[in-house]
Amino acid sequence: MKNKAAARIGTYLKPVKASLAIVAVSGLLYNIGMIAGPWFEGKLAQRLCEVIAGTQGFRDMVRLALAYVAVIAAVQVMRYVKRLYVRKFANQINRDMKQELYHSMVFKSKRELQQEGVGALMTKAISDVDACVEGIRKFTTEVFDTGVVMLAYIVMLFQYDWRLTVLSMAFPPIAYYIADRLKKTVTQNAKEYKKSAERLNAATYDRIGNALSYRIYGQESRRDSAYEQCLSDYEDKAVRANIWENVMQPIYLVISMAGCVCILWFGGKNVLGQGWTPWDIAAFVTYLSCFTKLAAKSSKAAKLFNSVQKAAVSWKRIQPFLAPAQAQGMKKPLASDKEMPRGKTMELQQVSFGYAGGKSLFSDVSFSAKRGEIIGITGPVASGKTTFGKLFLGELPYQGKIQINGRVTYMGHDPELIGGTIEENILLGESGDAWQALSWVDMTQEVQQLPEGIHTRIGNGGITLSGGQKARIALARTLWHRKEILVLDDPFSAVDMQTEQRIFSVLCRLAENSTVLLISHRLSLFSRMTRVLWLEDGTVTVSDHEKLMQSHPEYAGLYRMQTQGDTGKEGESENAG
Amino acid sequence: MRDKVVKKAVRETVHAHGKLSFFLILTVLGSIGAGLIPPLILEWCINTLTQRNDLSLLTILLYFAFVGMSGVLDAGKESLITIFGQKVTHRIRSIMCGKLKTLPADYYTRQDTGTTVSRFVGDVDTIETLFTSGIISMAADACRIFSILVIIFVKSPGLGLLMLLVLPALYCLTRFFQKRMLAAQLDNRQAVGRANNHIPDTIRSIRTLHNLNKEEYMEQRYATYIQEGFHAVERSNFYDAVYSPIIITVSTVLVAVMMILSARGGWLMHFFGMSVGTAVAVISYVGKIFEPLESIGMEIQNIQSAAAGIRRINAFMQEPEKALAEQAGRDRLCDAPAVCLKGLCFGYEADKEILHDVSLTVQTGEHITLIGRTGAGKSTVFKLLLGLYEPWSGSVQIYGQNACGIPQEEKRKRFGYVEQTFHAVPGSIQDQITLADPDICRSQVIQALDTVGLWSTVKQFAKGLDTPYQESLFSQGQIQLLSIARAIASDPQILLLDEITANLDSDTEQRVLEALQAASRNRTMLSISHRLYEYSGGRCITIAQ
Repeated sequence: MKNKAAARIGTYLKPVKASLAIVAVSGLLYNIGMIAGPWFEGKLAQRLCEVIAGTQGFRDMVRLALAYVAVIAAVQVMRYVKRLYVRKFANQINRDMKQELYHSMVFKSKRELQQEGVGALMTKAISDVDACVEGIRKFTTEVFDTGVVMLAYIVMLFQYDWRLTVLSMAFPPIAYYIADRLKKTVTQNAKEYKKSAERLNAATYDRIGNALSYRIYGQESRRDSAYEQCLSDYEDKAVRANIWENVMQPIYLVISMAGCVCILWFGGKNVLGQGWTPWDIAAFVTYLSCFTKLAAKSSKAAKLFNSVQKAAVSWKRIQPFLAPAQAQGMKKPLASDKEMPRGKTMELQQVSFGYAGGKSLFSDVSFSAKRGEIIGITGPVASGKTTFGKLFLGELPYQGKIQINGRVTYMGHDPELIGGTIEENILLGESGDAWQALSWVDMTQEVQQLPEGIHTRIGNGGITLSGGQKARIALARTLWHRKEILVLDDPFSAVDMQTEQRIFSVLCRLAENSTVLLISHRLSLFSRMTRVLWLEDGTVTVSDHEKLMQSHPEYAGLYRMQTQGDTGKEGESENAG
Repeated sequence: MRDKVVKKAVRETVHAHGKLSFFLILTVLGSIGAGLIPPLILEWCINTLTQRNDLSLLTILLYFAFVGMSGVLDAGKESLITIFGQKVTHRIRSIMCGKLKTLPADYYTRQDTGTTVSRFVGDVDTIETLFTSGIISMAADACRIFSILVIIFVKSPGLGLLMLLVLPALYCLTRFFQKRMLAAQLDNRQAVGRANNHIPDTIRSIRTLHNLNKEEYMEQRYATYIQEGFHAVERSNFYDAVYSPIIITVSTVLVAVMMILSARGGWLMHFFGMSVGTAVAVISYVGKIFEPLESIGMEIQNIQSAAAGIRRINAFMQEPEKALAEQAGRDRLCDAPAVCLKGLCFGYEADKEILHDVSLTVQTGEHITLIGRTGAGKSTVFKLLLGLYEPWSGSVQIYGQNACGIPQEEKRKRFGYVEQTFHAVPGSIQDQITLADPDICRSQVIQALDTVGLWSTVKQFAKGLDTPYQESLFSQGQIQLLSIARAIASDPQILLLDEITANLDSDTEQRVLEALQAASRNRTMLSISHRLYEYSGGRCITIAQ
C-alpha cells in the first residue's frame, strides 16, 4: 500500500519536475546561505572592535558591510525563488489532482454514485485534496527550512569548537524525548477535536438546510440550543487540542536553550584564551547566534513530522478514487444493427426483466417501431413503466434482445439540471439558439421576464426554479439533444393540462424523424398516440388507443375517469382568485 | 444587530470572562518584558569579554533564567490566547445562529445551504486560524516593537532615527501587498466555490450526462473553474513569496549602514552609541523588530482570508430580517373557521404580484383541493398559511389568529405539512418524525407510523425506531409515507399536502394515497394537485392569476 501510494504520488510530481528542481536548488542555496547571517554579524562586531582599537580602518568596515548586504540580498533572492516555486508547485498538484478525481467521477454510473455512497466520498476526497497538497507544501518547505538549515548550522558549529558543540547539543534531544512521549496525547486530542468539528459541521448543515422544516414545525429555538451544545463541545475540544499542539513549543525552546549556559561559560573562556579553542569576539558572537537559531528551529522540528502525517491521512482517502475510470462499467450494450430496414428504429424480441431477487416485472415483450411513431406507455401503479423506460439506457441486465438503430435520448423523473445559466443547461456546450428550445416547452415568456433572461443562473440543481420550470427546462434540453429515439418518462407531471397539450403538439412536429416512447399515467394525450403499450400484471399489450378502449376495461376506466373528471370538475369548482 | 459581529463578540467575551482577559493582558506584558532583557545581558557579557574579563556564573545563569522565563510566559500567553480565541469564535457562531431565526423564509429558498453553511464553518474558521496560528500573539508583539524602539533610541539614537524613517515605508508596502492579495484571494474563493458546487451537480445529473455524452463538457466546465482558481492563487503567490525576503533585506541594509556610520568614528560613533557589546545587542534587537513584521508576511494569506471571512460574515449579519411577528395576543376563537383568507394580495418580488385578492374560507373538518395553472400560486397560499411570509394586504387567519403570529410552540398543534420532497434530518428514524422534539413521545411516533402503514417495515429493522436514518432504507414511496407520519405525529388540526405524488415513482403511489386517506380522517385538509384521480371528494377551489 505504502509503496503503491508513493509511486502514485510520483505521477503527480512528474509534470511539476521543473518547479521541484528549482525548489531544490534554491532551497539548498538559501538554507546554506542562512549561516552567512550569524557569520557576518560576528565579523562585523569583530571589525568594529578592531576599528575602535585602530588596527583596521573605516574602508575595511565599508567593504565588510557591503559584502554583508550583497550576500544577504543574494540569499534572500534565493529564498524568494524557493517560496514562489514551492507555491507554484503545490498549486499545480492541486489542480491536477482535482481534475483527475473529477475525471474518474464523471464516468461512474448513477448506481455507483448514489447507492454505494461513492458520490459523498468523492466530494469529500476532492476537499481532501486541499489538505493533502497543503501537507505536501509544508513538508517540502520544512525539509529545507528545518532539515537542511539545521544540518548547515550543526556543521558550522562543529567547525568552531567540536567539544563545546557536543556539550551544548546534549539538550535538544531532551526536548525531543519529551515531545515523543507526549505525541500520543497530542494526537489523541487532535483526533477528538476533529470528530467534534465534524459533529459541528453536521449540526450546521442540519440547522440551516432544514431551517424551513424546523420553522414550520416550530422547532427553531430547540435546534438553536442543540447547536449551542455542539459549539460548547467544540470549544472544549479545540482548546485542548490546540494547547497540546502549540503550548509545548516555547518549553522545548527553553530546554534546547539550556545549551547556551555552556556556550557563555566555555565560549567566554575560549575568547580569553583559556578554553579548548582560541576564539575572537567574531567567533563567539557567530557561535551564539548560530546556536540560538538552531534551538529555535529544532523546537519546531516536530512540525515537520506533523505535516507529513496530515498529508498522509488525506492522501489515503484520495488515493482509491484516482484509479483510472472504467468507462461505464456494468452496462449491457444495446445491439446496434445497421441492417435494420429503412425507417425502423428499434426491435425488441422476447425481452424480460425482473430485479434481482424479485419476481419478473414483465416478460416476453416483442415489438418494433419506426421513425415518426409516438408510442404511449402506461399501466396501473407498480406495473413497471419506469423500469421499462430504463431498459433503453442500458443500465439494467435484461433478458432477450433489444436492437436499436441509432441513439437514445432519455429523460427521467429527475430534471437533473446543473448550476449554470438556463442557456447552458439547454445547450450543454453546443452552439445554437436555446430560445427555440424554450419556445417548444412554452417557456419563452417566463424566461423573458427573468432579470437576466436566458442567462439567469439557476443555482445548484436549479434551486431557484419551481418544480414545473425545472421539468420544462429538462424537457427543452432533452428535445434539443434529441436523437433517433426519445424515451420520456412522465415529462408532463408538473405542468397543467393546457400546457401539456401544447407541448405535445410541438413534440409531434419535432419527432417526425424519431421514435418517441412516452411513459405516463395521464392518459388524456393517449388518443393522439400512434400506438399504446399497456403494462399489466407482467404482460405487455402492444396495441393502440381505440383497440385498448374496447379490449381492456381497466384502461378504458382510467381514461374515462381522467377525461371526465376534467369536465366534471369545472362544474363544482369555485373560484378563489 | 448593526454592530460588527467580531467586535461585538470580543466585547462580550471580555465582559463575560474578566479574569481570563486580565491574565491574558498580564502574560502578554510579561512575555514582552522578559523577552527584552536577554540581549541587554548579552551586551554586558560581550563588553566584559572585550575588556578581557571573566564572565561570572551568576550573569550566565541570569541570562538563561530570563530566556526560560520568557519561554514559560510565551507558553502561557499562547494558551490564554487559544482559550480566549475559542470563546470569541464560539460567541460569533452563537450570534450568527441567533440570526437564523430572524431570516425570512425567502432567504432559505434564495440561498443554497452550502453558501450559508460556509459562512458558519469556513469563514469563522478563518478567524479561528488567526488565534491558533499565532497571528493574534503577533499583534501582541506589536507592543514589543514599540518597547524595542525605545531601547534602541536609548542605546543608539542614530539607528532609532533610521528605524523611524524606514518603518512607515514598510507599513505602506505591507498595506499595498495586503490589498493586492485580498483581491486575488477573493477571486480564488469564488472560483473554489463554483468548482465545489459543480461536484454535487454532476453527481445529481450523472444519468443525463452519460445519456447525452456530456462527460467532457462537464470536465471542461470543472477545468475552467479550477483554472480560474489556479490563476488567482498564482497572483497571490508572487506577493506572498516576495514579502518577507524584502523585509529581511531591508533589515540587513539597516545594520550595515549603522556599522559603517559607527566605524566613521567621532560624533557619528557617539550618535550611534557604539561599543562592541552594544553592536551585538542592537543587531539582535533589529532582528527582533523585524521578526513580527516578517511573520506577518508569512501569514499574510491567513490574515487576508480572515479579512475576507469577516467581510462575508458581516454581510450575512446584515441580511434583511423578517418583520417581527406582532403577537396579536388574540385568543383563539372557538367559532372561527379553520382557515380564512380575506382579500389576500401577495408576491415574492415587489413588482410581481402572484395572488390578487384571494378570499377563501375552510371550515373545520373540510377537505378541499386547490387547483390552477402551473405558477398560479397554489403552493404560495400554503406558505402564507404556514406564516412563512407576510401578505402584502389582506389577512390570513388560522382559527381567527394571524398566521404570522402563531407562537413557535403552538405551530405543531396547528399544522402538518407534507411537501413534494422529504427533508431528512440527521439522526434516527424516530428523529425524522419528531424532528428531535422531546414533546412527542414514542407511542405517538409508533402511532403515526402505523397510520401511514410504515410501522410493520420499521419494526423489522434490528434497532427499530432507533435505526440511524439512511435514504437507502426506504423506497421513494416509503419516504413519502415517512413525510406524512412526520406531519401527523403531534396530531395537528390542519393537514397541508403539496403535490405530494408529483415526484413519486408510480409503483407506490397507491399506498401513499391510502395513507393520506387514513391521515386526513378527523382533520381539516387542504391539498394541491394536478392529478385528478387523486381527488377524493370535497370541494375544489381554483387559484388563478
